[in-house]
Amino acid sequence: MKKKTWFGLWYLLLSIMIAGCSGGSGGTAEPGKTSGEEPDQPAAADAVELSFWYGWTGPEAEALEKLIAKWNEAHPEIQVKGLSQSDYQKQLTAITGGNPPDVASQFGQNVVPWGLRGAMMPLDDYIAKDGVDLDDFVPAALSTSQHEGATYAIPTAMHVSMLFYNKDILKEAGYDGPPETLGELKEYIKALSIVEDGGRLSRLGLWPGMDAYTFSYAYGGSFYDEAAKQVTPDHEGIQSAIKLSKEIWDQYGSDNLDRFSSGLGQYMSAQNPFFSGKYAMTVDGEWLPTFIKQFAPDLNYGIAPIPYDENHPERKNPGNVTTSVFYIPKGAKHPDASWAFIKWMTEPEQMAEFTAAIGNLPTRTSAFASPLYENVPGFKEFLDYSASENLKSFPATSFTNEYMTEFSAQVDAILRGTVSIEDGLANVKEKIQPLVK
Amino acid sequence: MNASAPVHSPRPKARWSRKERRYFWLGLAFASPWIVGFLAFTVYPFFGSLYLSLTEYDLFSTPRWVGLQNYEHILQDDRFYTSLGNTFFMAFVSVPITLVASLLIAVVLNFKARGINYYRTIFYLPSVIPIVASALLWTWMLNPDFGLVNMALRALGLPDPAWLLDPRYTKPSLILMSLWGSGAGALIFLAALQGVPKQYYEAAQVDGAGAWHRFWKITLPALSPIILFQLIMGLIGAFQIFTESYILAGGKADGGSLGGPEQSLLFYAVNLYQEAFVFLKMGYASALAWILFIIVLLMTLLLLKTSGRWVYYGGE
Repeated sequence: MKKKTWFGLWYLLLSIMIAGCSGGSGGTAEPGKTSGEEPDQPAAADAVELSFWYGWTGPEAEALEKLIAKWNEAHPEIQVKGLSQSDYQKQLTAITGGNPPDVASQFGQNVVPWGLRGAMMPLDDYIAKDGVDLDDFVPAALSTSQHEGATYAIPTAMHVSMLFYNKDILKEAGYDGPPETLGELKEYIKALSIVEDGGRLSRLGLWPGMDAYTFSYAYGGSFYDEAAKQVTPDHEGIQSAIKLSKEIWDQYGSDNLDRFSSGLGQYMSAQNPFFSGKYAMTVDGEWLPTFIKQFAPDLNYGIAPIPYDENHPERKNPGNVTTSVFYIPKGAKHPDASWAFIKWMTEPEQMAEFTAAIGNLPTRTSAFASPLYENVPGFKEFLDYSASENLKSFPATSFTNEYMTEFSAQVDAILRGTVSIEDGLANVKEKIQPLVK
Repeated sequence: MNASAPVHSPRPKARWSRKERRYFWLGLAFASPWIVGFLAFTVYPFFGSLYLSLTEYDLFSTPRWVGLQNYEHILQDDRFYTSLGNTFFMAFVSVPITLVASLLIAVVLNFKARGINYYRTIFYLPSVIPIVASALLWTWMLNPDFGLVNMALRALGLPDPAWLLDPRYTKPSLILMSLWGSGAGALIFLAALQGVPKQYYEAAQVDGAGAWHRFWKITLPALSPIILFQLIMGLIGAFQIFTESYILAGGKADGGSLGGPEQSLLFYAVNLYQEAFVFLKMGYASALAWILFIIVLLMTLLLLKTSGRWVYYGGE
């Protein structure tokens, strides 16, 4: 072998090594320390300074900053500095690097996976000490932060979906109200969809790949059997929900649905398919009325409960709750101060102020009656719905993210016909059950 | 493997003179910033990930030694096979196509035409744009109903697939994207083309070789080292493809839906990212990274081994 080739070989090996190592590095964490700027308010000389990382941006971040300013005004001894940090991976690297923010926001689905691994401080001692009334919280929202009796975060906002319907389109089809039962829903979808020659869709009653979680609960489904420590993706209720989706899906076929959906406008625009009449109905969250007011103020629409199973009227008003939470990262330097701030932020008054400003639902029932929600479009219906007994949330376990990912992937494959319902759900079980500890 | 190359000194080692020794240390001192960086940011993480791949590590607690368990698990993980299949597709279909395309572009750009510099610039421009931006641009281009690509196809009476939504067409969509960025490769080929000695062509012409013959017998062999280089770099790149899939398959901050329709865009690096940062399985992800490293290493060695048959180095 010639010298030159040797050199080339080593050079290549080195470059592969460098390439192989550069994958997936999460970048360096910014220190959670704030720069030495003077706060706007006269702070106490020995004030504790807390850094607070949150995922909201733009106007939502402004609403939060307003509250932070309010807190700083009232608490000269604890000054909070907010930082809009929508890259949640940064929190991971900061906690691992031992330099976390003092308070941070997160998605509810990450709470228990992170909490059980020790990335979030359990808050139960604080809750007991300060007598925070956990019964005031919507149970389905609180349960996203709890696992086996420990509470790892306080849910500050929640989301739930309802059925939106276009009144004009329904009227035109001869309906004077929304579908109430799942049987009616099927019939409505058929009647409201328009298929042109050659199978091309020009209007859809409801997108068939609708929220599998919400409809699983509508059929009384359950994803986890706590007592038996068994994941139950093959639960009868879940199967029924997927069957419903599949039935509607197959009426039109993947090709036509793909073609139709690819021509639909952006979600956050006037061309949103529900706003432009391409969807007669849609299942969506409490933020949608605010978008409608912004993008399609003339839309004549109604908000209705998720249709229920006619054989089980006791399951009326089903829903799937997801949350946004505040938590104290492991290794935070002033946990007592961090807790004081979280506790204040999640008191009914502050919670109402923040959630009303960003158009999210509050998680505390005592906040429901706040006059601040009167100006938020659609909130009357959504707040009433939030009191429903039949709201559930995805079981919070150490493997929540794996479970949801695998479930979504298999549902997608089932709808597209690459796997049968039984086999797809069996795949989920086979993959996730070993993760149960 | 160790990172110190065997020293083939040109002559038997004599004792260094004082001057030589001084220069040696001086040289080391000058190179030290790089050496320190290399040790801290390449060598240490390299062996760190080897250790972690033999543990169960969730970022927050101390790593727990599990031996080869992660590697055993990989062999039974269907997401591993899905992602490997998708990645192989990109490596063995997309890389050759892009290579041929950039070679052809280079040959065309090598003509002495008026304004050729402008064309060169235009072809290179896409490579200047960040991947994220070009991926977003292509989601528009590939929109089945009002995207440019399908408008053109329809005008020609050809079928117009639902590119990014139909699992059969998601990877071809990415190939289209990478073709658009093949100007960077073309630029390297162009530089090499201009280094081919003219007299070869002249001699061949005197012997009566046609244009096709000249390309086949002179241009390609002269370019072969560059082709090898591009092939290897392309393969390494294909095995690490991440951003395009992350953008096109709607990557969310919560790592929600990665992988696109029917997991057709679940590439190796995407799967690795998800295992590491969404499922918090750092040990498992490190093992995945090592498997990737071994695969890329084997591929590269194979290419280098066979390269002797078709790569010509000038002056050998």
